[in-house]
Amino acid sequence: MQNAKDTFYEMLQSRLASLNPSRTIVVRGMVRPGTLVDENELPTAMFPTDAFRLSWTALQVNSEGPLPLVTMECSIQYATDGTPGNGGMDRGRLLAAMDAELAAALGGEPQIAGKMNYSAAGVGIAPATMGTNVFWAEPVFGVAAAVRERLTRTSTVHVFAYQEAGEL
Amino acid sequence: VSTTGAIATAVAPVAGRVRAYFAPVNRSSGIPTLFDPAQRGGFVLDSPPAPWVDLGWVSRFARKVGTKVGAIRAGAPAMAAGQVRTEVEATISLEFETWGKLQATLASGSQQTNLLTTAIGAIPNGSGGLAAAAAPLLTGSGPASTATSLNVGVTAAAGFAVGDLVAVDIDYIGQLGYVGTGVSTAYVQSASAVSGDVNFVRRVTLNVAVVTAIAAGVLELASPLPAGAPTAGMQVSQLAGFCDREGASFFQEWSALFVLPGVQGDRVLYHYPRLQAMQGSAETEDTWVLPLRRIRLAGAFRALPVKDGNDGEMVLCFRSYLPAALRGI
Repeated sequence: MQNAKDTFYEMLQSRLASLNPSRTIVVRGMVRPGTLVDENELPTAMFPTDAFRLSWTALQVNSEGPLPLVTMECSIQYATDGTPGNGGMDRGRLLAAMDAELAAALGGEPQIAGKMNYSAAGVGIAPATMGTNVFWAEPVFGVAAAVRERLTRTSTVHVFAYQEAGEL
Repeated sequence: VSTTGAIATAVAPVAGRVRAYFAPVNRSSGIPTLFDPAQRGGFVLDSPPAPWVDLGWVSRFARKVGTKVGAIRAGAPAMAAGQVRTEVEATISLEFETWGKLQATLASGSQQTNLLTTAIGAIPNGSGGLAAAAAPLLTGSGPASTATSLNVGVTAAAGFAVGDLVAVDIDYIGQLGYVGTGVSTAYVQSASAVSGDVNFVRRVTLNVAVVTAIAAGVLELASPLPAGAPTAGMQVSQLAGFCDREGASFFQEWSALFVLPGVQGDRVLYHYPRLQAMQGSAETEDTWVLPLRRIRLAGAFRALPVKDGNDGEMVLCFRSYLPAALRGI
């Protein structure tokens, strides 16, 4: 399952960065594309704005077939305060831009990615290619919530993968 | 040198959508366009091999097998001694995601008419009145017309505008039988039945396009004409849109290919060399947020038989499966 989660994250981060290379965040002093997975970062109360925050929530495993089919729900939260130069009055536009980027990244063809194993990957070491693909459904966009000057939306997408023999 | 690869366990195909492709049937000779999955089954979905034309994704694709198998019984008490196919039938139904000319024609269930721009004072008619004079394609003056550019000359070009829909085909001069360049789109029983209308072939042709630019008497088209570069005698008519009629007698026939791209890289292909419409023009509605509704073209088709060249069997449809690489079978 971890391979499927890592593969989906890498795919989404790559597509979003390609759509809008200027969307970046600073995490532990490093500038990165504006996509992160909550469970892979230090616990913090800070909510990064103008970035996509992924959380893995529901999980279901169907073992009826020859390979167990794993269905995972990925919750993608993003928020914006607008820009100070515009007094925050552009926060609706910035949220709409993030909506559009996410829709394009998840709705664009192909809606599949070859599953990769990143457990041994590192600098100069490529991830290992696995035998099946990860695939996903269309995202469902939640209602935008406004708290003071901040606009927040949570979208969810179901991600599917086969659990291959020997895979943990 | 040796090569090895790990084989993943085979799983049932999972596919989200179905892609449809069209190719013409030569109605005069009854010869369909055959698709060879052994040669071309893995084609890129956006670039089907000629002469196949992409119809886009379709929804609610459903195959129905009407083949009946009966038992031959013998003895007392009667016991099944063998089996026999008493009836062979295959039908499909689907909904097109777009209202393109080709999709609308196939879903119309019959002949579809181009609503040619009418002549001044034309008597009103349900499928369009008397058409305005067509613009001839120039030869020997300026560039030759191609599948994507039509040389009508500066004077005639002044009568066109960017965004115009145009139909390009030959004049009707008394032809009988199937008409329409590239694809047979109507059957003329007699010249009197079509009132000898010189524009009749352009009225029914699938050879249509959208004008995207006009320069020096040449109309540039958004996409190539389905029938390719215009031939001698073809003329250009403007049209406002398309029309089909419930109750018309013509049966549209086409060669069909449906592809289900599996999420694991496998692929299911359904090839129906001959499909004829089995219902009139119909639509389905998806309710979004009231009162908005999306209207899709709904089609239902019956398969007609072809002979398989490998063994001479008469069949209605070919289902092929191309497993993904390195999968168990």
